[in-house]
Amino acid sequence: MKFFTPFRKKSPWVLHYNAGSCNGCDIEILAALGPKFDLERFGVINTGNPKQSDIFLVTGPVTYRSRERLVELYSQIPEPKVVVAVGSCTATGGVFRGMYNVEDGIDRYIPVDVYVPGCASSPQLIIDALVKGLEVLEAKSKEIEKPYKLFGAIETIANKLSRLNMATKVGQNEKD
Amino acid sequence: MIWVWIALAPILGGLVYGGERVLRARMQRRQGPPLLQPFYDMFKLLDKRTLIIHAPHALLALAHFAVLWFSIAAIFLGWNLLYIIFLHLFAQILLILAGYSVRSPYSHIGSNRELLMVVAYEPILILVAVGFYLVSGSFEIAEIVKGENYLLQIPLLFAALLIIVPIKVKKSPFDVGEAHQEIVGGIEVEYSGVFYEFLYMSRFLEYIFIYSFVYLFGGESHWLGAVLVFGVFLLVNLVDNATARVRPAHMLKIIYTVAVSLAVVNLLGILL
Repeated sequence: MKFFTPFRKKSPWVLHYNAGSCNGCDIEILAALGPKFDLERFGVINTGNPKQSDIFLVTGPVTYRSRERLVELYSQIPEPKVVVAVGSCTATGGVFRGMYNVEDGIDRYIPVDVYVPGCASSPQLIIDALVKGLEVLEAKSKEIEKPYKLFGAIETIANKLSRLNMATKVGQNEKD
Repeated sequence: MIWVWIALAPILGGLVYGGERVLRARMQRRQGPPLLQPFYDMFKLLDKRTLIIHAPHALLALAHFAVLWFSIAAIFLGWNLLYIIFLHLFAQILLILAGYSVRSPYSHIGSNRELLMVVAYEPILILVAVGFYLVSGSFEIAEIVKGENYLLQIPLLFAALLIIVPIKVKKSPFDVGEAHQEIVGGIEVEYSGVFYEFLYMSRFLEYIFIYSFVYLFGGESHWLGAVLVFGVFLLVNLVDNATARVRPAHMLKIIYTVAVSLAVVNLLGILL
């Protein structure tokens, strides 16, 4: 509804996922949420629950072990949603680019809205990225957004969208 | 007039919750969210796509909110205190059933802990009601608020109530049922969008429910009641900022040793 759209950017709830990061960016995210930088003044809550969050903060190059969880978490976030890739590894693979056990950034798996550079990216940059993400969030519609890989069919059961088989396992999908 | 207050009860509770978030932020020397933040959250949740696990699960959250609102209405209308406590218990049981009705293990753990919390605080609430009856001669709230200053007559019962206030408003050290990042919200874990909003608003009503018990200790003096509520509000938030979460069994042990013995000693003192 048009009336409620402006309130999206007033209460962004954050889901933070570590896709094989070295914990450098995670600590900076926690610093941004803590008392000194105080992200809560924008209404941010770190929910830890994909079904209630709006912004997906991902750190780390996607390791083989974490990619299924990444896509699963992404497809569990209800629309509208925004993905923020925090750190060089998440954006491009960083120093791990081309290694046998990483996937060179999350944009091979899910669509990314805001990239944050830096190793590790500073709390100020993360706050900037979140505020930028809020603009994207306000412009988005409630259209369903798909991950690029590990994605099953969009099913409907009794005219209702079913997310049961949306995220598939690594071996299940031919496209992977 | 009283019906207007009953209709506005969730908004009143939302303001209390927003004020509390600002207060906690100021205690940690940061700016904190705006006062109307809970309402922004509610409007945003209306704009999200809703994922429903199955219909009874979603409807139980709605029923929980409705029954809780009814018990708040009963408080405002001055009905029987025992009736209000058991209505509230019924609302909690609806929520616990909702937690057990999905297959998520976090939801089940949340329900188990919510049951433990009910087992912990329910005896204290009933003993407080019995204390009011012994002193004022009636279970009716309309009669109780005509008496004078219960704080001097049943001080230990007030202390017992003070111990269980953090359980009801989900604050440290007794926030085991919700426990963010440990069991990701417990019962709330499978809710999203509009139906999560009912749980979010029922939290506002819990504030009004437990603080109206604190208010009753003021008796006929509205000023004393308001001062008590404000003092307890400050104290609970101070304790919340200063302590860590205890384990569920430990919480039960604290309540059953300290709070129950305080309440029983006070009741025996009145009777003997």
